[in-house]
Amino acid sequence: MTGAEQVISALKQHKITTIFGYPGGTIMPVYDRLLDTDIEHILCRHEQGAAIAAIGYARAAGTTGVCMATSGPGATNLITGLADAMLDSIPLVAITGQVASPLIGTDAFQEVDVLGLSLGCTKHSFLVTDPSELADVLEQAFTIASSGRPGPVLVDITKDALLAEVPQQEIMSMEPVKAPEPEHKHLVSARQLIAESQRPMLYIGGGVVLGQATGELRDFIDATQIPSVTTLKALGTVPYCSPYYLGMLGMHGNQAANHAIQQCDLLVVIGARFDDRVTGKLAEFAPNAKVIHLDIDAAEIGKFREVSVPMRGDLRQLLPHLTLNNLQLNEWQQQVAELKQQYAWRYDHPGERIYAPLLLRQLSDRVCDKTIITTDVGQHQMWAAQHMQPAHPQNFISSSGLGTMGYGLPAAIGAKEARPEDPVVLITGDGSFMMNVQEMATLKRRKLPVKILLLDNQRLGMVKQWQELFFEERYSETDLSDNPDFVTMARAFDIPGRTITTKSEVPAAIEDLLTSSGSYLLHVRISEQDNVWPLVPPGAANHKMLEGNS
Amino acid sequence: MNHHTLTIQANHRPETLERLLRITRHRGFKIESLNMEQDQQNGQLCIEVSVCSERPLKSLEGQIAKLWDVIRVEESNSPSIRQSAYA
Ligand SMILES: Cc1ncc(C[n+]2csc(CCOP(=O)(O)OP(=O)(O)O)c2C)c(N)n1
Repeated sequence: MTGAEQVISALKQHKITTIFGYPGGTIMPVYDRLLDTDIEHILCRHEQGAAIAAIGYARAAGTTGVCMATSGPGATNLITGLADAMLDSIPLVAITGQVASPLIGTDAFQEVDVLGLSLGCTKHSFLVTDPSELADVLEQAFTIASSGRPGPVLVDITKDALLAEVPQQEIMSMEPVKAPEPEHKHLVSARQLIAESQRPMLYIGGGVVLGQATGELRDFIDATQIPSVTTLKALGTVPYCSPYYLGMLGMHGNQAANHAIQQCDLLVVIGARFDDRVTGKLAEFAPNAKVIHLDIDAAEIGKFREVSVPMRGDLRQLLPHLTLNNLQLNEWQQQVAELKQQYAWRYDHPGERIYAPLLLRQLSDRVCDKTIITTDVGQHQMWAAQHMQPAHPQNFISSSGLGTMGYGLPAAIGAKEARPEDPVVLITGDGSFMMNVQEMATLKRRKLPVKILLLDNQRLGMVKQWQELFFEERYSETDLSDNPDFVTMARAFDIPGRTITTKSEVPAAIEDLLTSSGSYLLHVRISEQDNVWPLVPPGAANHKMLEGNS
Repeated sequence: MNHHTLTIQANHRPETLERLLRITRHRGFKIESLNMEQDQQNGQLCIEVSVCSERPLKSLEGQIAKLWDVIRVEESNSPSIRQSAYA
């Protein structure tokens, strides 16, 4: 058995059926062996696309994603994807070829110190020069990627190790790393704080999704009826019909969510990490609240905010321990319900031009519960977060921590490969779409029916909005009014589409988008003047939100 | 500025020290002195590092404990020992 066959065998051992990648010199031994397996390799058209597709796959399926690239430029092109997976804690195994071991450190052709590059953007990484270590390293890689707080792991393998004969090795499955049991005294204190609180709030983050604890969270909310807010990554964890769920908090969150958090006396933080886009001015975030913090990662607990009760562990185990019935919260629930009503999204908008929030709400009402939404980054992303109502968190896939433009299309490809039966809709912007536009070739090759909704304001809208508000309307390099003709461009990839410009066209266009048999591009012209509201200005406390006049 | 000394036990990989240095810098700590030795019996590394920062030491300790090759971290002269995050 060769090293390359060892790689294939490790993938099989981990029941990997689909991988994303791009071939080249040093990884060729693995690509050669791929021909003789039933592992599906999806050729993306840029390694960044492959890495992000693997992330989309992992997020939609709730499993580990795998991507592969060659040494040098192949590996450097993966880096943005690794960083994205790092900040969003996505289980990802990246396999890269490396120049033969005698050539390492000689500035050989396509040699880059990938291990060095990986240090800041992976959970862990390996350089394998000795083929006898391969089986063990790959086993560790899969274990590390998916256990505890998940994350990306890179395995860089020299070409000589891939070509070498290695004795067939029995791969010893590693025990998954066990989460610690909750400490009794902390359970008692946490329950007591919850029981005593007059105005508790749940601040729910992506850890719930990664810890596969959505069911436990929903049971907890059903029993306690504690009001809740979520981060961008946790959208869909709480059903939108829950009476005391206030949506997303933070910089572009719902006002009700931000106000309720500011007023609460107890913050139960569930798999969230006090990100700066969420808290606004940290010193004034939930200023009167005690904090119970539940997380798998000890380093997140107390990182920014003193906690009254630390609860490190598996959320699936922790949440049932904290479930209390018969909490007397009527007065607070009433206040929360009033906030919810007072700040409910409004869709009245004058004129004939298309108003993105309304369009997205119409789309959200029209799609089925299984629909997966992926987004790019910018204003359209925030509008999607505000106005789409995913039925499940695995159905809303958006680059949160890194804010990676170019994410949406490859993530949609990965999601569609993971769940071919479920509809996939990409919500993108004219800036972001161009960043991984080459992946339309992957849609074409795989005949993947991904529905593309392109909100075109002919601007790098989010940056333009900041220039307008915080840089005295000095618009530097945010004008995209010379965009290509997107519909014509899509047609070159066999993707039909159309352009709409007025409100009255929206319902029929959404229908065409969703019911077309294959991929479809709905190109929507919107005004460059529409901004995302509300907005917490940088450095301000979350209750000091700006409201636009649109 | 707060000054602290950490004792770290770790698996000996070629890049273990690099990981430690990177995380220390990136998390806002300056290294004032560093000593590394290999334990002849078990091959593991014993690293003693003195750092200073405005940030609480806890924030660095937690990140070091998460390094896969780190077995334990403890503040010298402190009773609290932080096991590897994976123990
Ligand atoms: C790779 C990358 N480069 C730059 C940015 C900074 N950035 C954030 S939003 C944005 C504009 C996005 O424009 P577009 O995709 O058209 O979306 P819009 O805001 O107009 O909806 C930019 C440049 C980023 N997030 N990612």
